[in-house]
Amino acid sequence: MENRDENLPFLGRMMTWVDRPGSANKIFWALVVVCIGLFLADFTYKKYGAFAVESIPGFFGFYGFVMFTGLILLSKALRVLIKRPEDYYGDKAVDREEYPAEQCDKVDYDA
Amino acid sequence: MMLDTMPTAFLFFAAAIAMFALPKGPIRGAFLLVVPLFAGWQIWNLPAGNLLQVGFFGFELELMRVDKLARVFGLIFTLAAFLGNLYAWHIRDSVQQMATLVYAGSAIGAVFAGDLITLFIYWEGTAMASVFLIWARGTEGAFHTGMRYLIVQIGSGVILLVGTALFYRETGSIEFGLMTLTSAGTWLIFLSFGIKAAFPLLHNWLQDSYPAATITGTVVLATFTTKLAIYALARGYAGTEILIYIGAIMTVFPIFFAEIENDLRRVLAYSLNNQLGFMVVGIGVGSEMAINGAVAHAVAHILYKSLLFMSVGAVMFRTGTSKASELGGLYRTMPRTAIFCLVGAASISAFPLFSGFVTKSLVLDQVAENQYPFIWAVLVFASAGVLSHSGIKIPFFTFFAHDSGLRPKEAPLHMQLAMGFTAALSIYIGVYPAPLYALLPYPVEYVPYTVNHVIASLQLLMFALLAFAVLMRMGIHPPEIRAINLDTDWVYRKFTPSILVMASRGVSVLWTTCAAGINSVLSGTIRQLYRSHGPEGRMARVWPTGSMVLWIAILLAVTLVVNFLS
Repeated sequence: MENRDENLPFLGRMMTWVDRPGSANKIFWALVVVCIGLFLADFTYKKYGAFAVESIPGFFGFYGFVMFTGLILLSKALRVLIKRPEDYYGDKAVDREEYPAEQCDKVDYDA
Repeated sequence: MMLDTMPTAFLFFAAAIAMFALPKGPIRGAFLLVVPLFAGWQIWNLPAGNLLQVGFFGFELELMRVDKLARVFGLIFTLAAFLGNLYAWHIRDSVQQMATLVYAGSAIGAVFAGDLITLFIYWEGTAMASVFLIWARGTEGAFHTGMRYLIVQIGSGVILLVGTALFYRETGSIEFGLMTLTSAGTWLIFLSFGIKAAFPLLHNWLQDSYPAATITGTVVLATFTTKLAIYALARGYAGTEILIYIGAIMTVFPIFFAEIENDLRRVLAYSLNNQLGFMVVGIGVGSEMAINGAVAHAVAHILYKSLLFMSVGAVMFRTGTSKASELGGLYRTMPRTAIFCLVGAASISAFPLFSGFVTKSLVLDQVAENQYPFIWAVLVFASAGVLSHSGIKIPFFTFFAHDSGLRPKEAPLHMQLAMGFTAALSIYIGVYPAPLYALLPYPVEYVPYTVNHVIASLQLLMFALLAFAVLMRMGIHPPEIRAINLDTDWVYRKFTPSILVMASRGVSVLWTTCAAGINSVLSGTIRQLYRSHGPEGRMARVWPTGSMVLWIAILLAVTLVVNFLS
C-alpha cells in the first residue's frame, strides 16, 4: 500500500498531511483555539437578537456543544432500540443487495 | 403553437419523444443538456400572467400561470435538470433518460399550473415518471421498493383529486390559490401535499426509495418531488400555523436517524427531510420574508443536496458501495470529489460564505421576529444536527477517517464538471446572494453578513465541531456498522405482513378446529344411530317380521273368537 501511494494525484498527496502522525492533534488544538477565539469575540461587539439568551456571551457555542453531544448520545440510545441486521426485511430488500456492477465503473487510480 | 409560447412542460415531453431519433452517445447527451437550458431561457423570458387556457370537460385549465413564485421554482428545476443530465452523461439507458425528461417536465408543469386539475395531472406525472429511476437499478429489491414508492405517490395524487372534487363542490372553483384548513376538501389537499413533502410519519417513502434508485437517478429524484410539494405548500397554505410545528418536528427527528444510518445515500435522504422542515416552518410563519426564506432555501438546497448526492454517487460509481462502514480514506485518490463534497457539506451546514448561510437565516430570522422562542431553539438545535450528519459524517467517513484500503480512480470528467459547477453555484450564492434574493417572490431587505450573525453561526458550528472531535477522541461517537434501522416503513414491511400472517394462521386454526368439531359431532351422531339402528343395535333385537307374524296370529285369533261368538 505504501508503495502504491507514491503516485497519488497531486491534490491527494497534498491532503495526506491529515493522516500524518500528530496531525489529528494539531487539528484538534487548532479547533480549540478557534473556539476560544470565537467565545472571546462575543465581548467585542454589541450583541442583539430577538431573545434575551442571545446576548449571553458564548450562548451559541455552549448551545451547539451541549446539543450536539446530546444528539450523539440520544442517537446511540436510539440505535440500541432500532438497529437490525441488514437482511431483516428478507431477500427482496436493497440493503442486502450489491449495487449492479454493470452500472458502475470500478477502476483503481493506478490501473 | 410557436416554440417560445409552448408550455415549458410540453417542451420536455416533446424532447422525451424526439430523443429517440438521436443515436445514444454524445449527440443524445448534448441534446439532453440543451433541452433544460432552452427551457430555462424560455422561463426567464416569460411575461407574468395567465398565458394559456385550455377547455377540459367544461373546466378552463390554466396551463401557464406565471408569477415570481412559479418562475423561481421553474428556473431552479430547469437548472437541476441540466446538472442531473450532465452528471448522467455516461448513461446509455433510454428509459432513465426519458424518465428524467418527463419527470422534470411534469414538475415544471405543476409549478406553472393555475388550477387544481392541471396540478393533479402533473402531480401524478411526477410519480409515474420518477419510479422508473428506481426500477432502472434492475434488481428485485429495487422493484419492490419502486412498487412501495409508487403506491405512496399515486395515493398522494388520488387524495389530491378527491380533495379537489370536494373543494369544487364547496366553492365552485378549481383555482389553485391560497386555501385555509376549514373544510374536508382543503384538508385532503393539504394531506396530499404533506405526503410528498414527507411530513413526519408520512415521510418514510423518501428514505426507503432514494437509496434504492440508480446513482444518477437519486440525484434527479432528490430535486423534484419534495420541492414541488414545498412550492405547492407555499402557494396553497402560506401562513397556516400548524405548518410551523410540523416543520419543526421535521427538522429534528430525522437527524437522530441520520446519525446512526450506515447507507450514506439514506443519510442524505434523512438530511433532505430535515432541510424540508426549515422550508415548511418558513411557509407556516407565512410573512413575506418567511416565504422568501423558504423559497430561497429550496433553491440553495436543491443545489447543495444534488452536490452531496453527486459526490456520494461518484464514490459509489467507483467503489460499488455507499455504505460508510465500507468506505474511508478516499481523499487520496478522489481528492476533487472530496473537495466538492466538502463544499456541499459546508453549504448545507450554513457556514458563512456558503449558500445555506444566506438562505436558512431568512427563515430563522423570521421565526425569531415573530416570537416563536421554542421553535427557534429547535431550529438552532437542528442546525447543529445538520452539521453532524451532512457536514461531518458524509465527508468524514467517506473521504477521511480510517483508511478502507480502497484506491478508486477520481470520478469521470463529466461528473466532476457537474459537481464543480454545482459547487461553484453554492459558493456564489453564499458570497453574493443578491441575484438569488432578486428572484424571490417578495422584495428582500435583509443583510445576512452582520458581525452578530456571522459570529453566532460560527460559534454554533465550531463548538459543535469541537463536540464531535471530543466525542471521537473519547471513542463515544457511534461507529459505522453494517446494519439497518427501523423506521415507519417497518409498519408496512414487517408489522402489517406479520399481522396478516398471524391472522391467516388464526383463521386456519379456527377453521381446522371448527371442521374437526363438526366432524366429531356428525360422526358421533352416526355412531349413535348405528349403535341403535345398526344390525347389532337394540332396535334390531326384535325383528319386525317376527312381531308381524305374532300380531297377525293375534288378529286371526281375535277374528275367530268374534266369528265364533257371533
